[in-house]
Amino acid sequence: MGRFLSRLFIPQESNNHRALILQPSFLGLFIAIYLLNQSLLQSLTIARPGILGYSSEITADKVWTLTNQERQLQNLPILQYSSVLSESAAAKAKNMFSENYWAHSSPSGKVPWDFFREAGYQYSVAGENLAKDFYDTESLIKAWMNSPTHRANIINDKYQEIGIGVINGVLNGMKTTLVVQHFGTPLDGRVLASTPPSSTVNTVQNFGPVSSIKPINPALISKTLGSIMFLIIIGVLIVDSYITLKNRTSRLTGSSAGHIGFLLIILALLIFSRQGTIF
Amino acid sequence: MMTVFREIKKHPQNFIILFILFIGISVLLFIFRFDSHSQRRIVYFTAGLYLAWSLFHHYKRGDLSLSIFIEYLLLALLALLVVVATL
Repeated sequence: MGRFLSRLFIPQESNNHRALILQPSFLGLFIAIYLLNQSLLQSLTIARPGILGYSSEITADKVWTLTNQERQLQNLPILQYSSVLSESAAAKAKNMFSENYWAHSSPSGKVPWDFFREAGYQYSVAGENLAKDFYDTESLIKAWMNSPTHRANIINDKYQEIGIGVINGVLNGMKTTLVVQHFGTPLDGRVLASTPPSSTVNTVQNFGPVSSIKPINPALISKTLGSIMFLIIIGVLIVDSYITLKNRTSRLTGSSAGHIGFLLIILALLIFSRQGTIF
Repeated sequence: MMTVFREIKKHPQNFIILFILFIGISVLLFIFRFDSHSQRRIVYFTAGLYLAWSLFHHYKRGDLSLSIFIEYLLLALLALLVVVATL
């Protein structure tokens, strides 16, 4: 066992002066293990939908408050909360769950404006922001504000009203929270000041049966496994380089410096990547 | 790490190119830190550049072989798999 581990991590004559971990067969094994992990996660989403997913503490009132805070920072008037637009935003989120998609247009050809019309909202200008898999409202608003197109919706001075849909459900076998912002200005120019969503009432709805058990985060599993693999490879590359220098061994292999640089960039991306997607 | 530095010293121009590429990619990944769609595209592009650099580097060194290219290809493939699954 000891000898095998030594061959695995340390370059020596018995492994042709290259740690086994760095040889193509073992790199292929890493890929196979990673693919197996992904297949198991995928199978779980089919066999037990809702077990995997992303928990969230986002509420519509927080989204409304933080959106208006961003507008006030730009000296823009706040967006009035519209219950009609909220109906349309909630209908859009529910449609994404029922048709199982994540986009502005549905597979059946429905576009955002169809939801505005179905809710009975006649608009002169309108817009839509989407988000999923975020844990908290602050990071969600930050993500939207850092995307030029979503930011343009939030700080658009032509919009006077906003509706927010925050719906929990199961999308592609994973439990998640979809957040939809619908912006608009009524065609007749009459802005009705509706009661804003209150933090004292539940502003989050469920679509279909959603278990209250905290789901297992699949991205965290994939990220941890990937990071461990990269750390092992980087560590072995460093040990391999040191021993090769010490023994003055000449070999035909890839560039350790190039490999380490490339893997460090990907590792940094994994470590600093955030949960949540916007569209 | 000494071998890594020795390797860099031997072919400084190749590693300057790689270093500039990696810095540029890191800056792009930071700019698009809230946009996972763009980050994914940047990683596809990085993997392609990494493979192209490997061909250039080993061709210049005169030791370009299929086994070396497969080593780069497998590392790039592993990186792509992890990024696609995570972002």
